[in-house]
Amino acid sequence: MQTIKGAVIAAAGLGSRLGCGVPKCLIEVEGVCLLSHLIRCVERHVEVIHVVVGYREELIQEYCSTHHRNVVLVRNALYRSTMTSSSYALGAKHLDGKILYLDGDLLMAETECSKFVEAAVNVPVLVGITGTKSDNPVYVSTVHTGGTTKVTGFSYDHASSHEWANVLCAPADFFSESSGHVFHTLSAHLPLPAHEIVLYEIDTDNDLKNASAGFLRQFSDQETL
Amino acid sequence: MRTAFCFDLDGTITATELLPCIASHLGISSEMATLTRATMEGTISFEESLRLRCLILGMVPAEVVHGIVASVPLNGDIVQFIGARASDCFVVTGNLDVWIGPLVNSLRATLYSSEGTFSEGRLVLNSILDKATAIDDLRTRCGYSRIIAVGDGANDVPMLRNADVAIAFGGVHKPSNAALEESDYVTYCQQALCKLLKGL
Repeated sequence: MQTIKGAVIAAAGLGSRLGCGVPKCLIEVEGVCLLSHLIRCVERHVEVIHVVVGYREELIQEYCSTHHRNVVLVRNALYRSTMTSSSYALGAKHLDGKILYLDGDLLMAETECSKFVEAAVNVPVLVGITGTKSDNPVYVSTVHTGGTTKVTGFSYDHASSHEWANVLCAPADFFSESSGHVFHTLSAHLPLPAHEIVLYEIDTDNDLKNASAGFLRQFSDQETL
Repeated sequence: MRTAFCFDLDGTITATELLPCIASHLGISSEMATLTRATMEGTISFEESLRLRCLILGMVPAEVVHGIVASVPLNGDIVQFIGARASDCFVVTGNLDVWIGPLVNSLRATLYSSEGTFSEGRLVLNSILDKATAIDDLRTRCGYSRIIAVGDGANDVPMLRNADVAIAFGGVHKPSNAALEESDYVTYCQQALCKLLKGL
C-alpha cells in the first residue's frame, strides 16, 4: 500500500476542438470551472497539486492567484508542439512517490475521485476507464479475472463499452521518457489494472452539453458544487 | 551536486516591499509606491529607479532605516527554510547593503546586494547589483552546480534566466510579466513554495 503524494493536472493544451478561446479547465459547469472542481476533488488526498499551464497561461495564473493559491503552476513553454505526456513529465519532474495524473478538461464527482484514489493505493499503476460517451473516445479493451479488471488495449477504431478516462495513478517518473499520447505510454505496460470511474471529458461543445446534463443528473444529489 | 537557493528580498522574504515602508517615514508613501510599481513593471529600469530612491530616501539615517526594516513582517516559512540550510541560501537583492545588511545577517544567509555608504549623513550609491553576476559568482567561485532562484520583479529576470530552476513567487503581489516569462514554476503562497523547494 502506497499513499498518493501529489496530483498533476494537465491544463496546457489549446482545446482547439472546443474553440472557446480560453483554457478548457476554465470552462464553467454550474458556475464552477473544471479546474476548481478538479482541485476540490484531489486536494483532500494529496500534499501537493501541480497544474501544468501553457495556452493562455495568464488566465490560469490570474485565476489561481485568486482562488487556488496553494497550487504550484508548472510552465510548459512547448505546449503547442508537445502532448499531454510531456506535461505530465514536466509536472511530476521534481515529485516522488505515487502521483495522481488528470487531464484538466474532466468533470467528476468528489466521491468518484475518492474511490479511484482508494483503489490506487494497492497497485503500482491504476488506469481510469469510464463508460463510452465522449465525441472522440479512445476505446479500451478489458479482461476480467479474479474479480479485477485489466486494460489490455487502447484503440480509436475498435468500439467498446468503455473509453480511456484520462485519469491514472502511477510513479512520479512514469512519463519521464514519454512524448506522445498518454495511452501510448500506458500501452507499453499492458495489461494494467483498471478502475471504472464516472466522469466526463470535455473536448467538444456536445461533450460540454452532455457533461453539464450528466453532472446535474448524476451528482447533484451527492454533492453541492 | 551542490545546490544554491537564491531569494529576492523585497516581496519574497519580506511580506511587504521595504522601500515604501521607509518612504512612509518621510510621508511620501504614495509617491514611492508609484515608483515601485513602475519599477516592478519594468517601465523604468531598476538602476534608474534605485538612483531616484536613494536620492529621496538617502536623507533618512541608517539606524532609522534599520529600525523600520526590522519591524517589517517576514514570510515565516521562507525564513524557516533558509534557516534550515543557511550555508546554501543567498539573498540576492538590488536593495542596499547599508539598509538591509542587519536583516540578512539575522537570516544567516549570504548577501549579494547593491552597495552604498553614508558620507556626512548622506547616502552615496556605490554599485548596483546585476543579479546575473551573483549567479555567475555562485557557479564559478563558490562551485555550485545547480542554482534555484526565487523572485518576482523585472530586476529578478537576470537571476531567473541564469538559474537552473526559476520560480516566480506571487505571495505578496502579482509577479511581473517579465519574471513570469523566465520562470519554470509559479507559486502564490509561501507554503506551496517551500514544499516545492524541498522537493527540488
